[in-house]
Amino acid sequence: MPTHAGTPLIEARDLTRVYRRPRSSLTRQGEAVHALREVSLTVRRGERFGIVGESGSGKSTLLRLLCALDQPTSGSIRFDGQEITGRPERALKFLRHSLQIVFQDPMSSLDPRMRVRDLVAEPLVALGEPVGGRVGELLDAVGLPASAADRYPHQFSGGQRQRIAIARALAPRPQVLVADEPVSALDVSVRGQILNLLADLVDELGLTLVFVSHDLSVVRHVCESVAVMNDGSIVETGPVDEVWAAPQHAYTRTLLQAVPTLEGLL
Amino acid sequence: MLSVDGLTVRADAVELVREVSFDIAPGERVGLIGESGSGKSLTALSLMGLLPEGVRASGTARLGGRDLVGVPEGRIKDLRGREVSMVFQEPMTALNPLMRVGAQVAEVMTLHGRPRAEARTRAVELLDRVRLPRPAQLARSYPHQLSGGQRQRVMLAIALANEPGLLICDEPTTALDVTVQKQMLELIAEVAPALLFITHDLAVVASVCERVLVMYGGRVVESGPIREVFTRPRHRYTEGLLAASKLTPRGTRLPTIKGSVPAAGRFPEGCVFSNRCPHATQRCETEPELTGEGHAHACWHPAD
Repeated sequence: MPTHAGTPLIEARDLTRVYRRPRSSLTRQGEAVHALREVSLTVRRGERFGIVGESGSGKSTLLRLLCALDQPTSGSIRFDGQEITGRPERALKFLRHSLQIVFQDPMSSLDPRMRVRDLVAEPLVALGEPVGGRVGELLDAVGLPASAADRYPHQFSGGQRQRIAIARALAPRPQVLVADEPVSALDVSVRGQILNLLADLVDELGLTLVFVSHDLSVVRHVCESVAVMNDGSIVETGPVDEVWAAPQHAYTRTLLQAVPTLEGLL
Repeated sequence: MLSVDGLTVRADAVELVREVSFDIAPGERVGLIGESGSGKSLTALSLMGLLPEGVRASGTARLGGRDLVGVPEGRIKDLRGREVSMVFQEPMTALNPLMRVGAQVAEVMTLHGRPRAEARTRAVELLDRVRLPRPAQLARSYPHQLSGGQRQRVMLAIALANEPGLLICDEPTTALDVTVQKQMLELIAEVAPALLFITHDLAVVASVCERVLVMYGGRVVESGPIREVFTRPRHRYTEGLLAASKLTPRGTRLPTIKGSVPAAGRFPEGCVFSNRCPHATQRCETEPELTGEGHAHACWHPAD
């Protein structure tokens, strides 16, 4: 299969993350919460990898660790062969370059006081790179007019704002795009536009995509492989069509049955 | 039971909802679907007399012989929470964080004249009815101690407390996980007297309701039995929405509706969907009426 032909790009081994609840007694420590329990996964170069789970499943914690926005309690993550855990921020520049994120809610991920031009150029400025004509190129790539650069986020609809967030993520020419529920906050009629755009960009730019969603049917449309998470662990992983057609784990089956579909109801 | 006729909602000169008319019979479950900005929430809020400052409703809405629209706050206060009640989208913001949930359920009954002790006992019964575990203990907890699904059940208990004739649910499961959503939808379908269910999710509405109203640009553009509207849509917006919500296999293009929903007051004259519609002609510059018995649509160039 072509998808497995790629070499491993992200390799996570036995990731565990324990949070402590705030202490409620003077003499005892706060209760420990195991957000992630010994999770391992491999994302190959060029692969579209989906992570599915409900709130509290640990998918956001996993994502934060993969993006080096948080440190695991134990375990390792290698990105393109280099260990990224335990490094100080200044030693993570190569990762910031190679991996960028699109967040769920473009309303809160874009600074309302910045013009689109500055928002899109921000990753380049942060990495100390020349901006040049890149903003115009990027806006064009996501289907926004060049005039958008002079406007503010509130002047755009939800779908357009998500396009701005995608343009910003693509600014440093990353190898990996991490999308955290990128269409959950959007209306149905624009969801398709954004999913089509993501698919086009991933194809054209040869990106590796890590796509997080609570909806397995969206992941099935976008990704080749999927990991299903529940209670801090990956309960099932494999090619998405196999997991969809013949779920092995009881939780995956529950998840599939819970999603109402028009086809099933009419 | 509920009869809405010519409901129009305005903020100053901007018309946000225009001439919306529909009926809900006792025991009937009606869905109101539309995307953000379609006017579906404003329609619901005007039935509750909860429109924000500066927004006014006109037209009539009668529930069991009593007017809901255009009556003074003193009168609507008497009906709200007793004859008609509502479950909101975000239970974390709708519940009072400083008040125990049992007391919040009891409050809606004492406000409508029930003795305090009786209300407290009944609050626990209601928490049990919405299938919350160990209702007596749970009544003493605060909203932050509950999960999202549990909070939404508390909201439902509050809404049902005075046995209203009409229950309005505005996106009650949007903030919930899919497995929790399923239980919540089953519960709503089971306990609702007559239901007006607002959502943007076509599959959710199909799993709860019998009849559906499709709103776009502040107007009802299509209405009818769910099965008919969803299998043989007539209005081009409904048709596009249905196509856009089906996820095709990987590697294929998803069907989309071009453009995006305009801001309030920026919808085109005539047919509100004409600037995004692939079938629009000059004729669409005049406003089409909602026509048809049972399955009605407001489109000059309907599908089929």
